[in-house]
Amino acid sequence: MAASLELSCWGGGWGLPSVHSESLVVMAYAKFSGAPLKVNVIDNTWRGSRGDVPILTTEDNIVSQPAKILNFLRKQKYNADYELSAKQGADTLAYIALLEEKLLPAVLHTFWVESDNYFTVTKPWFASQIPFPLSLILPGRMSRGALNRILLTRGQPPLYHLREVEAQIYRDAKECLNLLSNRLGTSQFFFGNTPSTLDAYVFGFLAPLYKVRFPKIQLQEHLKQLSNLCRFCDDILSSYFRISLGAFSCVNRYQQQIDFGEVHSHDSTT
Amino acid sequence: MGHMVKQNSDKIAAEPWPENATLYQQLKGEQILLSDNAASLAVQAFLQMCNLPIKVVCRANAEYMSPSGKVPFIHVGNQVVSELGPIVQFVKAKGHSLSDGLDEVQKAEMKAYMELVNNMLLTAELYLQWCDEATVGEITHARYGSPYPWPLNHILAYQKQWEIKRKMKAIGWGKKTLDQVLEDVDQCCQALSQRLGTQPYFFNKQPTELDALVFGHLYTILTTQLTNDELSEKVKNYSNLLAFCRRIEQHYFEDRGKDRLS
Repeated sequence: MAASLELSCWGGGWGLPSVHSESLVVMAYAKFSGAPLKVNVIDNTWRGSRGDVPILTTEDNIVSQPAKILNFLRKQKYNADYELSAKQGADTLAYIALLEEKLLPAVLHTFWVESDNYFTVTKPWFASQIPFPLSLILPGRMSRGALNRILLTRGQPPLYHLREVEAQIYRDAKECLNLLSNRLGTSQFFFGNTPSTLDAYVFGFLAPLYKVRFPKIQLQEHLKQLSNLCRFCDDILSSYFRISLGAFSCVNRYQQQIDFGEVHSHDSTT
Repeated sequence: MGHMVKQNSDKIAAEPWPENATLYQQLKGEQILLSDNAASLAVQAFLQMCNLPIKVVCRANAEYMSPSGKVPFIHVGNQVVSELGPIVQFVKAKGHSLSDGLDEVQKAEMKAYMELVNNMLLTAELYLQWCDEATVGEITHARYGSPYPWPLNHILAYQKQWEIKRKMKAIGWGKKTLDQVLEDVDQCCQALSQRLGTQPYFFNKQPTELDALVFGHLYTILTTQLTNDELSEKVKNYSNLLAFCRRIEQHYFEDRGKDRLS
């Protein structure tokens, strides 16, 4: 009776259901809240707009951007936050802002701007998911978008120089990871024993950084030292996403065999 | 990001806070915009809370004088530091801090809420100033270019508008409508209101840089005349936030015998 919910998003690799942070945030939230999503991984038959992925489609709606998709799911009564107090809800917003301002620039840089990483890992992987000739164009566009975002939000006008901000964004990201680790402590999730929106966001941002194998790894090394954050990611992967062991290489054209395991039923689905 | 003149922290710590420390911002009456006024007030509030004297000087070209291009900036001894974040660090190197008493989890929370204010409130202010055509036409354009002769006043205003619009697009605010932006402001104020609760300050008895930042933005939103009252109405919905602003205004500005905030 619930409208069918279809999520179009980037596929997985390296043990993850998706290597794209925003897609992963939505997938994790859907798992936590019990939303029955049908996941359509972008492959070479995909004909829709790819720039806005992840995209949620129902019979009458098309929703893009993680924040809007999560809002939509909540309105459909798939709410992972119903046990949170008002203050915890406020903390969620604040920590998400922290992630976007302090961690995201360095994650974007690691994936899309750092040349060794981009040319040997990111670009081939994304290009392999989509048909020619888009495979020649889209990764470059995403890379330029990432660089743009970093420079416009952290660079100094009127001359935007990447080098000036590189050191600063990595410093900020490491500090942010430390703050997250302090905040998580020994708890299983950020608010008590059940995962919520904040857990989805942290998982979405951290898991690709943790798992994707890059040549230039300074931020990854820092993350690996924070064992509770790594444990957090591994726990979510093993509890909510049981991945069958297909061959995951970074230039993988065949359909990922992602088996979405049983959903934990502690949520308020109708 | 702010820009500190490269000095090692020993040298900074060695010199005590001088009597003639100055804060530079744009002209109050005719030029300064909402977002810059908020930033300046936040720094003033922070310094007041630290009990550090500061003299406010208004210059039409403050934005260009600043090492990072952002206002306000302070001139202390022979050093120039801009923006709240770096100023807090600078003041800490001189031995003054408002957040030393917080534990690690509280410090993380404080930083997260400061990012929330930057991410939502400040961005909304910039959106309103530069992307809402009514406000741009009636207020922003004229104010921003006011110190300069024609055609420079128009050129500078258009250039700044283009720069801000690019930034909005890059962070995904390009397609937002004014109503959506006001929704975000409401969400942000609700979060701040819930976090503050019935306490006098965000971390109970003593104010921190977070209180200074929130005060700077909320007070400015409440007291700045815009094309309509929609923005300030969002803040007025939360009585504890209004009381919070009044408390800081009274305690750190009026009681100290400073000039009333205009």
